[in-house]
This record gives sequence, C-alpha cells and structure tokens, in this order.
Amino acid sequence: MSEMLPVIMAFVAALISIVATWLAVQERDMLIATLFSALQSTCYALIYYLLMAPDIVLVYLPVSVGILPLITIILIKKTERYEE
Amino acid sequence: MSSATTFLLTTIMISFIINIAISLYGVFAKPSLVKKFIALTIFSDSVNSFAILIGFRRTPLGYPSIAVMPSPPQSVEDLKRFVSEAVDPVPQALVLTAVVIGLAVNMFLVGLIMLYYKYYGSTSTRRVKI
Repeated sequence: MSEMLPVIMAFVAALISIVATWLAVQERDMLIATLFSALQSTCYALIYYLLMAPDIVLVYLPVSVGILPLITIILIKKTERYEE
Repeated sequence: MSSATTFLLTTIMISFIINIAISLYGVFAKPSLVKKFIALTIFSDSVNSFAILIGFRRTPLGYPSIAVMPSPPQSVEDLKRFVSEAVDPVPQALVLTAVVIGLAVNMFLVGLIMLYYKYYGSTSTRRVKI
C-alpha cells in the first residue's frame, strides 16, 4: 500500500489538471483563465515530484507558476481582458 | 508492481492525452491570441510530461528512487543496484532544457502579441481589417 500512495496522489492531480485545463480554455475572462492555467501547472509540478523528478520541479515551478502567469497578466493589462 | 499501479499509471497517461486534445482545441478554435498563448503553454507542458512518464521505470524492488548517487560507487555491484532501482535521468535532462527554451519562445510570442495589438487594435483574429 505504501508504494501505491504516490501513484494515487499523482492520479488525483492528473484528474484535477484535466478540469483546470478545460476551465482555462473555456473561460471568457483572461485573468481567471491565467489562474486556472497556474492551477494546472501546480498539478503537473506535483506529478513531476511524485514521478521522482525533483530537479524538474525546481525549474518548472518558478517558470510555469511564477514567470509565465506574471507575463500573461502584464500582457492582459496591456491588451484586452475579455474574449469576444 | 501490482495491476492497480498499472491502471493508475495508464490513467495518468490518458489524462495527458486528454490535456493535449483540449489545449489543441484551444489553440485552433479560440479567436483570442492570448487564449491561444495560454493553451500553447499547456500543450508544451503536457508533451514534456510524456517524456517524464517514459523515464519513470518499473523496478522489481518497489517504488523507484531518484537518479542521484549520494556517494561514489565502491564496486560494480553498487552501480548495478543503482541502475536497477533508479529512474532514467535522460528524459529529465531533456525536459529541463525544453522548459527553459520554451520560456524564451513564450517571451517572444508575448512580444509578437503586443505588436499585433498595437497595429490592429485587437487581439482577436476575427475582427482584423487589413
């Protein structure tokens, strides 16, 4: 059972990432879509950690949860917030 | 590993495929360029996750360990044991490079979207008048 627990956690994170991806694609407000994209990236970081790749997590977490949503929010501020 | 672990790992792989499908739908069907950009980042992350999942090997001893040797190997048996119980580090190195290069490409795309908005007055691809 102890070796099943990381795989079960990765399974739950994969299911949450599917929902977050669908909501990020379907959302009209770009700011909320960016937040859903960050949620999906967090789930992927958890999956990477549980699949025994902690060096990827150290790079992926600042890039994909920190820098990319920041740049996307700046892009939304300079352009349009709502999709037509 | 048991068959339940096989089922869960297969489900994780199928969830990556579903994520790739949803994000490709977002890239092709949504008119807004910012939405295309968000979907493209999700697509690249899902493809990177495939490489990580390939590198996750099954070991007969149970759950595999991180591909790091805490001390230098003293004999050939140490190396054999390490190779038999650690995950494959090569896909991790490839994904590490792909994440950083993807960041640079995404920055370039952000600059292009800003130029697009400056010239055409909108980020939607359906309202452009040339």
